[in-house]
Amino acid sequence: MLNSVKTTLTALSLTLGLGFGAAAQAADFPQKPVAMIVAYSPGGGTDTAARVLAKYIQHHLGQRLIIQNKPGAGGQIGFTALSKSKTDGYKIGFINIPSIFLVKMLRDDVPFEMSDFEMVGNIQLDPVVLTVPADSPYKNFADFAKAAKANPGGLSVGGDGPQSNNQLQLVVAEDVLGMDVNFVPFNGSGPAITATLGNQIAASVPSASSATNHVKSGKLRALAVFADKRYPYMPDVPTIREASGMDVPGIGASMRGVAVPKGVDEEKRRKLEAAFKAVVEDEKFQAHIQRMGLPLAYMSADDFAAYLKEAEAGIAKYSDLLK
Amino acid sequence: MIDNLLLGFSALMTPMALLAVFAGVTGGVIIGSLPGLTSTMGVALLIPLTFSMPPEAGLAMLGGIYLASTYSGSISAILLNIPGTPAAVATLLDGHPMSQKGQSMRALALATFGSSIGGILSVIALFLIAPPLADFSLKFGSPEYFLLAIFGITVIASLSAGAMIKGLIAGLFGLLLSTIGAHPVTGDVRFSFGSPILYDGIPMVVSLIGLYSIPEVIAMISRKQVKIEESSKTPPRSALSFLPEALAQRVNILRSSLIGIIVGIIPGVGCSVGGFLSYDAAKRASREPQAFGKGSPEGIIASETANNAVTGGTLIPLLTLGIPGNPVTAVLLGGLMIHGLRPGADLFTLNAEITYGFILSLLVANLLFVPIGLFFARYCAKVIQIPTAILAPCILALAVIGSYSIRSSLEDSLIMLFMGVVGFIMTFFAVPRAPLVLGLVLGTLAESELARSLALVQGDVLAFATQLVTRPICIVLLILCAYALYQGIVQHRRNSNLLDT
Repeated sequence: MLNSVKTTLTALSLTLGLGFGAAAQAADFPQKPVAMIVAYSPGGGTDTAARVLAKYIQHHLGQRLIIQNKPGAGGQIGFTALSKSKTDGYKIGFINIPSIFLVKMLRDDVPFEMSDFEMVGNIQLDPVVLTVPADSPYKNFADFAKAAKANPGGLSVGGDGPQSNNQLQLVVAEDVLGMDVNFVPFNGSGPAITATLGNQIAASVPSASSATNHVKSGKLRALAVFADKRYPYMPDVPTIREASGMDVPGIGASMRGVAVPKGVDEEKRRKLEAAFKAVVEDEKFQAHIQRMGLPLAYMSADDFAAYLKEAEAGIAKYSDLLK
Repeated sequence: MIDNLLLGFSALMTPMALLAVFAGVTGGVIIGSLPGLTSTMGVALLIPLTFSMPPEAGLAMLGGIYLASTYSGSISAILLNIPGTPAAVATLLDGHPMSQKGQSMRALALATFGSSIGGILSVIALFLIAPPLADFSLKFGSPEYFLLAIFGITVIASLSAGAMIKGLIAGLFGLLLSTIGAHPVTGDVRFSFGSPILYDGIPMVVSLIGLYSIPEVIAMISRKQVKIEESSKTPPRSALSFLPEALAQRVNILRSSLIGIIVGIIPGVGCSVGGFLSYDAAKRASREPQAFGKGSPEGIIASETANNAVTGGTLIPLLTLGIPGNPVTAVLLGGLMIHGLRPGADLFTLNAEITYGFILSLLVANLLFVPIGLFFARYCAKVIQIPTAILAPCILALAVIGSYSIRSSLEDSLIMLFMGVVGFIMTFFAVPRAPLVLGLVLGTLAESELARSLALVQGDVLAFATQLVTRPICIVLLILCAYALYQGIVQHRRNSNLLDT
């Protein structure tokens, strides 16, 4: 009897102690710099965005944010590394939507599951735009759609690819709008834009951020942006709904958010969430991001997770068309 | 024009901006000479540092890194037979043999002066005729790129140094290796052995490190220390005394600069291709083609002048059209954007002060890496006098760390070791390695552009063939290919006749 009481007490105190310890740990989290895995090379769009975040978050996080590039295989290597990281909260990752879904759905033997991650928040949303050269006969989206329907598979549309978010967006648009174009993959949105400027292709589907400069300088014409709202840096370009009258889901939009491997203490994750929310609201950060022409679209951890659930179903429907 | 120069001058002549150029050039020289650290990485990692600098200083620093690291890849190529950057592979062919003859300072000086002059000429082209040249970069469609790659592959003949069959084997092996990874148009993964690290193919820099440093280490360990004395009979000459020798090659310098600038303007081709093409052109034009590969000063100058002339060339489409031609300029574009500068006409009018300041800073950087590079090289030259028992393990360690650091992946170090074994087998059978590098560089370009050309015409081979003979640039490239092959065959026949009799 006495013995069992003793055991219970010991167990209780141990549990309390442990619980207390964890709470204390979470309370002064973070005590050392936090490392963020970026699944793309130094100098790329994702990396630059991460480094700008890192510069401004120090003040809100109380510690430095260190960028660790783990590029390769279209993000697969970095996402896998994140899924297998320690769950002490000091290892977080920048993830790209829908790339992470496409990697998982289009490849065999991808060693992570979407359930291996928990969300911290979304930072950016960069939609896909349909662009044509300035001297193109297609003055608006209706012209383009008419030409595409008159000549199924005949119009060459370039974009980052293969199996990219840009191609996904085009496939979704083709399906909803009943068109058929000839998608030609390029080594990134940049080369696709170059080919458009040089009239090598009829149109292209680059990311809005990479097309902005060229649209503003009048060398490219943007016919529609695949998003619910107009793109802030190109307010004159109609959304695809305004341009076509149809609802084309914008699931090809490239989103950049922050995630942690599953199992990170809830309190720590909320602290990270608060820090990222604070930096997105930081005026200096916003001014910097605006000068770079990057589109912010903050989502809280829960909103982001809910969005991902919905997007996953939408992408799964179309992923076979990308194979 | 003069006002713009003065405007740029006033922007540049602040202590901050000048210090930034100096820091960029010094950092660039070190980054470029260490195999595994590339200019892209250098520029990318320093971008956050430039956030808080005034734009002219920040850009001047990034430009300095870019130019200096493109040049300094030649230092390790000449002294250690290990190219610091892919662009230095053609320099190595003659630079190292010259260094082995005890003339390292001469090789380093020629490479430095060549780089500087090529760089300066390309900046002048950028300053004077950027807008009309920029339109040229848009004329390149997939069929043109494909033919350019094929033309590049004909350079194998020049890189084989007499061993044509061996050169072809190496080149084909390089082309074969370049097919590893995801197909550029369909996305099908080939020869990956299930490892995602191979999805992107064999990384260029990693294979360079393996291909050149491992055989060097093995050779060092297996032979007794051969003391390479800096020509002890003649008194050591200062680097500056080689300037007249470099300047005497006016035609070579002009031709190489022109090739470099043109290659630079074409987006996505790169410094190494510029170096290879101009090395080839110099060898074909030379009165002493047999000296190439054995320490020809013409070879060093051709390759180094061209690969630095590429730098100014790549900035032409970048500044005028916002089109980055290689990873470094893509990062530089990010650097411009951060300061709210948008490439295009505005850059030369509204922001003329910053833009011309940047262009002027490039001129300064091209001049500045001469003293800094030579100063650095003088100490590097002592490296070859370190006992091999110390040097060999150091190089091996650097090779492993360098290959790891690119993607922080241990698998890359394994790829490096594999390529090292390949390189060792090649050197053992006296198979030239440069054609393999060329195959690796151009194989991906040729394959993806061929696939894309066909995708653009919905797989219609006849339509593609018609394009090849009707598009003006295609016709020029076809003629160049035919000429290169014809001349190669004639020369080969002549050489074998000489051997027979």
